[in-house]
Amino acid sequence: MSLAAILMTVLGVLWIGGGSAWLLTRRRYKLVQVPSFLMDLVGFPVEYAQSIWGRGGVPYALLLPNMLIFGLFTFVPMILNFYVSFTGGTSILLFNRPWVGFQQYADIFSCETIFEPRTCSNAGFSFWKGMFNTLWFVAIQVPVLCIVALVTALVVNKNIRGRGFWRAMFFYPVMLSPVVIANIWNWVLHRKGVLNEMIGGTRDQLSAMARMTGFDIVMTVLLAVVLMVVSERALRSSDTPSLAWTAIFGALLALLFGWANPLSLIGLGGSIWLGGALALGLVLIVSSESRHARIAIIVAGILSAVLLISIQFDSVFDFGRYRPINWLVQPNTGWPFFWLVFVFTWSHMGFYMLILLAGLQAIPSDLYEAARMDATRPARAFWRITLPLIMPTLTVVLVLALIRSFQIFDEVYLLTGGGPGRETFMIVQNIYEVAFTNQSKDYGEGAAGSVLMAVVIAIFTFFQLWITRRQSEL
Amino acid sequence: MLNRLGTFLTRTAGNKDTAERFGMADVLAYGYLLLGVLIVLVPVLWTFFSSIKPERAVDSFDTRLLPIAQVQTEIEGIGAKPEWIHEAEDGGERKVFKAGPTRKETDVAPIDDPGDVFKVPRTQLRPSEEIRVATENYLDPLLKRHGQENFTFGIYLFNSIFVTVMATLITLIINAMAAFALSKYRFRGRLTFTILIVATLLIPSSIILVSLFFVVWSFGIFGSLWGVIIPAAATPTGVFLLRQYMLTIPDELLEAARMDAASEWRIFWRIVMPLSLPALSVLAILSVIWRWNDFLWPLIVLISDPEKHTIQLGLTQYAGEFDTDFHYILAMTVVSLIPITLVFVWLQRFITTGIATTGLK
Repeated sequence: MSLAAILMTVLGVLWIGGGSAWLLTRRRYKLVQVPSFLMDLVGFPVEYAQSIWGRGGVPYALLLPNMLIFGLFTFVPMILNFYVSFTGGTSILLFNRPWVGFQQYADIFSCETIFEPRTCSNAGFSFWKGMFNTLWFVAIQVPVLCIVALVTALVVNKNIRGRGFWRAMFFYPVMLSPVVIANIWNWVLHRKGVLNEMIGGTRDQLSAMARMTGFDIVMTVLLAVVLMVVSERALRSSDTPSLAWTAIFGALLALLFGWANPLSLIGLGGSIWLGGALALGLVLIVSSESRHARIAIIVAGILSAVLLISIQFDSVFDFGRYRPINWLVQPNTGWPFFWLVFVFTWSHMGFYMLILLAGLQAIPSDLYEAARMDATRPARAFWRITLPLIMPTLTVVLVLALIRSFQIFDEVYLLTGGGPGRETFMIVQNIYEVAFTNQSKDYGEGAAGSVLMAVVIAIFTFFQLWITRRQSEL
Repeated sequence: MLNRLGTFLTRTAGNKDTAERFGMADVLAYGYLLLGVLIVLVPVLWTFFSSIKPERAVDSFDTRLLPIAQVQTEIEGIGAKPEWIHEAEDGGERKVFKAGPTRKETDVAPIDDPGDVFKVPRTQLRPSEEIRVATENYLDPLLKRHGQENFTFGIYLFNSIFVTVMATLITLIINAMAAFALSKYRFRGRLTFTILIVATLLIPSSIILVSLFFVVWSFGIFGSLWGVIIPAAATPTGVFLLRQYMLTIPDELLEAARMDAASEWRIFWRIVMPLSLPALSVLAILSVIWRWNDFLWPLIVLISDPEKHTIQLGLTQYAGEFDTDFHYILAMTVVSLIPITLVFVWLQRFITTGIATTGLK
């Protein structure tokens, strides 16, 4: 019989037997009061505490079960972690585990340099590979999550039709289990899945169109008209350019850069990134209401005209045969990592969006009305009213997102299993595999890894508490 | 003129001067929402539509939306055969089945006359198709037909419900007790207890995995459902959520009950619990979501005994075992998605507003 079984039996007998006897001797119950009696029985320890120590003893009795569970299943393991990390062997009995001192840590740190996991021992390789992958993941995931959640909250907070539906729709993936999420996305991202099918279909159609005569001229004229309309709308509004139209103009500009590929003249790739950076700069200039905003848009317009003339659309849109990409499996492409970030954002964004939405709705609307009285433009209202007032909520979201994405396991384990190779191998998976699934279950090393991970998380948390010290209310 | 028409069409409310125009910002917003539908709902719906497709359509990655299947016909003395339509050069069509292997020139025979075998070019054959919902994707694993005995859905469902219900009940009761003590009593050590609970908030569960395993093992609840229920029953989030709410309950109510000689436990049960029902239901919903979707800890505790698997574990094992049987995997994914979707559709307004307003404080 296990320790728990004995404990539970003794406790049960004392609680039910003793409690019934105690209650029945003191109180009278009618037959219809059986539920009431049962309820009193559940709270028997509290009642008993009150009868012994009076009202002063009640809060301790009320706190007892919670504290017992916190103590046994959170604080004791926390301390035990240190002890286990100093022991070796594979025994599951604590007193059977030989004391090895700092051996487990030494294994993890036995590298020529820890910044190059390949130079480590086996244990060190898995740990540092997982650690650096996780740090990379956190560094990308947290900003992406916060920005997407903020944008979504802003959109849903607008005066649009069916707000409740949109809010619910964005929150829905939060309710889904990781297994379901992984199955859905495995199906969509399969090599012959619907995503590849869609991309392939679109490309084939574009290629077919590009082979038609006159396509080049039609596209150039069409884009020229669109660009003229968009830039005209951007410049048109009274004294400062319109931000929304500038954003569209910027997106078109970035695309033009990608197509015209001006960097290929000096033998470089990645023109679209340059275009994106320029577009972002343009949007920033306009949103900051600089005096040069109009000039910037006009310069960008001339630039786009030059680019437009240089493009030969029939070669740009002729993609040739599409080779389906095995999104989650192809090594050295970065796609598995990208989809990991994507799916994680997909499945967690809704929760942070809700928190931000609550923050947005707490901003008094008379501030915006006052701003409108002063003819403040929406972009300025965002930077000067919304962002400063949402900052405390945003910090909370930042902290939560950081702690959450540092512990990523379910999604990556089910989607890629840490592969291809070790490209998406995360730290929690390392701990799980070392301690629970390897041939020789190395609990000591798993514990040592946990301790080191706890140190990293603690550093992050303190850093954040330090940054947010003005906003904390505790 | 055009300008006026544009104003008329894009105006949302108000008269000519005060109208809020349907501007570019709104177009961008709706564009974003449309993108959201595409990214959030389409994969889920696509999974559902794929799950009702017949095995052959799933295996060949048929990307048409509707469940289109090739007609199977029973032919005397031969058995069930997929039906094809033969298009002759003169434009006549005949329903045939393949009598031999598919080659450039394939042997086929008409359905109504199986003895009359003749050769036709492969290019003249196209499958005879019908729309059929493949219920067998769902029924085979659920009823354990056709060699699908390994997915014991009933057991998984029972385990999942047991864990979810028990854990939620325990969580609600003990967290409410702790919150009651911290919000309505002045006693020595209140601050200490509060700080202890805050401290647990800062200890992520994934860094105590290994040693929690030792603790749970030494209690003898490793490998049983209680090993999943108990360790996560006390949640700091729950305690704070409830405490915050209980602070708003006026002390006079409690005093009045004490005047009537009610015991403290009865005050808790009869007055405080009913009054904090809104916060309790938010915590209940959160707890149900957490427990139902829990993966890593059940994976460690319950994986060795198939009788103890929850739905999530069962589904993982199933997907791992039958890596090629996509039609079953998709159907079971949809099955495990249904309960949580129903709960969500039913309580959606409540969940979203609840989490937004009380979920974080």
